[in-house]
Amino acid sequence: MREILRVNMSTLTISKEPLPEKWARYGGRALTSAIVFTEVPADADPMGPDNKLVIAPGLLGGTSAPNGGRLSIGAKSPLTGGLKESNSGGTAAHALGKMDIAAIIVEGVPADKTVAYALRLFPDGKVDLVPRHDLKGLGTYETVAVAKGIEASEHRYSEKVSFIVNGPAGEMGMKAAGIAITDPHGYPNRFAGRGGLGAVMGTKGIKLIAIFEEGLKGKEHADKDAFIAAVRKFSGALTTHAVTSQALPTFGTNVLANIINEAGGYPTRNFSSGQFEGVDGISGETMREITVERGGNVKHGCHAGCVIQCSRYYVDEDGHYITKGPEYESAWSLGADCGINDMDTVAALDRKCGDIGIDTIEAGVMIGVYMASGKIAFGDGAAAMAVLDEIGHGTDLGKVFGDGAEATGLHFGVKNIPVVKHQGLPAYDPRPIQGIGVTYATSTQGADHTAGYTITSNVLAVGGTVDPLKPEGQAALSQGLQIATAMLDSLGFCIFVAFAVLDMPEAFEAIHEMAAAHTGDEWDADALMQLGKETLTYERLFNEHAGFTNADDRLPKFFLEEPLAPHDVVFTVTDEELDSVHSFVPEVAAQLGIK
Amino acid sequence: MKVDVVLFAHFSGFQPDGKGGRHARTFDLDEGTTIADVIAMLGLPDEPRVIFVNSRHAPEERVLVEGDRLAIFPPVAGG
Repeated sequence: MREILRVNMSTLTISKEPLPEKWARYGGRALTSAIVFTEVPADADPMGPDNKLVIAPGLLGGTSAPNGGRLSIGAKSPLTGGLKESNSGGTAAHALGKMDIAAIIVEGVPADKTVAYALRLFPDGKVDLVPRHDLKGLGTYETVAVAKGIEASEHRYSEKVSFIVNGPAGEMGMKAAGIAITDPHGYPNRFAGRGGLGAVMGTKGIKLIAIFEEGLKGKEHADKDAFIAAVRKFSGALTTHAVTSQALPTFGTNVLANIINEAGGYPTRNFSSGQFEGVDGISGETMREITVERGGNVKHGCHAGCVIQCSRYYVDEDGHYITKGPEYESAWSLGADCGINDMDTVAALDRKCGDIGIDTIEAGVMIGVYMASGKIAFGDGAAAMAVLDEIGHGTDLGKVFGDGAEATGLHFGVKNIPVVKHQGLPAYDPRPIQGIGVTYATSTQGADHTAGYTITSNVLAVGGTVDPLKPEGQAALSQGLQIATAMLDSLGFCIFVAFAVLDMPEAFEAIHEMAAAHTGDEWDADALMQLGKETLTYERLFNEHAGFTNADDRLPKFFLEEPLAPHDVVFTVTDEELDSVHSFVPEVAAQLGIK
Repeated sequence: MKVDVVLFAHFSGFQPDGKGGRHARTFDLDEGTTIADVIAMLGLPDEPRVIFVNSRHAPEERVLVEGDRLAIFPPVAGG
C-alpha cells in the first residue's frame, strides 16, 4: 500500500498517511499535480508557508519497468506563478518506489530561517529530520561529498544512498534554481531544473534528502509473469528502434545539435538566427570524440533499469570528471545561444550551474539576454562564467541573474526576451519549427520543450511527419504529445521512450500491459490517455485560478514579427488554434468533479 | 554540377575520403542526379534517414541542382 510521507517544516513533524483511494492510479506528475492542485491555494505565495514541495516517483517507480525511474517534483512555481512539475532522472525515484512512498509532501516553513535540515529515509521505514548547518551554503557536489562521508560512516551504507540536494542558488531563493538528484555514481548531476523549485526547497529549510535503500527489494506485482512479459516486450522495442538503440547511446542527447541547426531552428545569439556557424564545436559528435580521446565514459544510464543509456561524463584533459556530458539543451543554451563554440567552455559553465544549483536552460537563456544588452559580448565564455559567479556569490546583480532571463532582460532593457509564462525558451526556435511554438505557448509549464516534443514529427521523422515551416496540423500534434507526455511522466517513464512508442505499436501496448500487470487494475490505451488528460486538467485549472488566461498562452511578439534566417519565417499558428489545445479540459474537469 | 554533401553521426565515416567529420565535401555530379543516387554512391547503410536539401526536408527521389547543400542524418533524437 503506497503512502504519503508528510513533512511539516513549521512544526518539524513527520507523519505517514495512506494514499487516498481517488489517487490510486496516480504516480509521478499526475500525483504531484493533483496534490498541488488540491492542497496549495492558487494565490499562495510560492515562497511562503502555504506552498508545498511534492516529490513523487512514477506509478511504476521501484519496479523493473525499463526507463521507468524518473522523478517528479511539483509545487507552485516561483518563476512561472503556475503549477510546476519538474522531471528528473537519478536514482531517487526507484528508491522511493521501493519504500512504497507515493509522494513526499514538504509543507510549512521553519521559524528559524537560518537552519539547514537533512531529511533522512531509512530502509526500515524510519524517517527523521536532522539539523545539518555544516551543509548550509555549500555547492551541490561538496554537499554530497560531505554528507556521504558522514552518513556512510554512521550507517555503514556504502553506495546505496540517493540524495536530493539543493544548491546555494535555491537556498538564496533565486527563481531559476533547480534541485539536484544523484546519479548511479553518486554525482549530483541530474536535475529537476525548471521553474525555480530549488527556491521552494530553500524556503522549507531542507538542504538535502537522503534515501537509504540498502536491502530494499523491488516492488511486488499483481501478476508477475505478465509484468515480466510486458517488460521484455518494451525493452525489445527500445533496443530495436534506431533512435533509442543507436543514436542516443552513441552520441547522447546532443546528437540533436547538427540536425536542428541544419533545419534552421537552432536558436543562436539570443534567438537572432536559426543557424550557428560554430555548431560543430559543441555538437554531440564532437563531445563524443573529445570524451573518448580523454578516456571518459560515453555511455551509461541515469538510473537503474535504463536500457537507452544516453548519459555520459565530460572529463578534463587528464580524464577527471567535470560534469555529466552536457545535454543538448545545456550545450545549446550555454553554447549557441551565447555564441560560444567551445565544448570545454560549455562543460565548465554546465558544471558551475550544477554546483550552484541553477537550471542550465534558464541560465543560458539569461546570459544570452544579458549579452544582447551589450553589457558583455556574445562568445565571451569568461564573462559568462563571471555571471554565474555573481549568482553563486549572491551579489545584488547575481540575484537579478539568478531570477532568470525575464528578470535580467527587464533589468537591462532588452527588447527581445524569449520567455513564455516567465520561463526561458529551450533549444528550438518556434518560427521554423512551428509545432514546438504551440507547445511553448500553451504548456501549463511555461516554455518547455519536453511538455509536447513536436520535434519528433516536425524535424526527426519520428511518429510521422508534419512540415515544421507551416502552421497546419501543429496544434493537434502538440495536443496529442502534451497528453502523452503527461501520461509518461505520471507512470515514471523517461520521455525518450516516446521515440519508440510513436513508431512501434507494441511499445505502446507494453506500457498499459505493465501498468495492468503491476497494479492489477484495468489499463488500456484510452486509460493511458485519460491519465494524461487528468494531469493536464489539474495543472490548467490551477493556472486559471492563479490568474492565467488564454492571453498567457502566447509567444513573445518578436516571434510573430521578426523573420528568422535562414528560412525568413515568423510564427503563424493562429490564436484560435492555440486556444484549441486545451479543449478537453472542461469535460475532464467535470469527470473529476473539480472546477 | 557542384553539390555540397554533409553527413552526420555515424554516417560521417561514409564520406569518400574516409576522413569523417561533419564538414561539407563538394561533389561533382552529373545533371539529373537524385539524392538516392548519392546515397548509393556513398554506400550508406539501408536504414531510415533524415535528409535536408538547403535546410528543408527532401525525399530521396529529389533531383539535385547546382549549388545544393545535401545533408543526411541517420535517425537521431534527443532533447
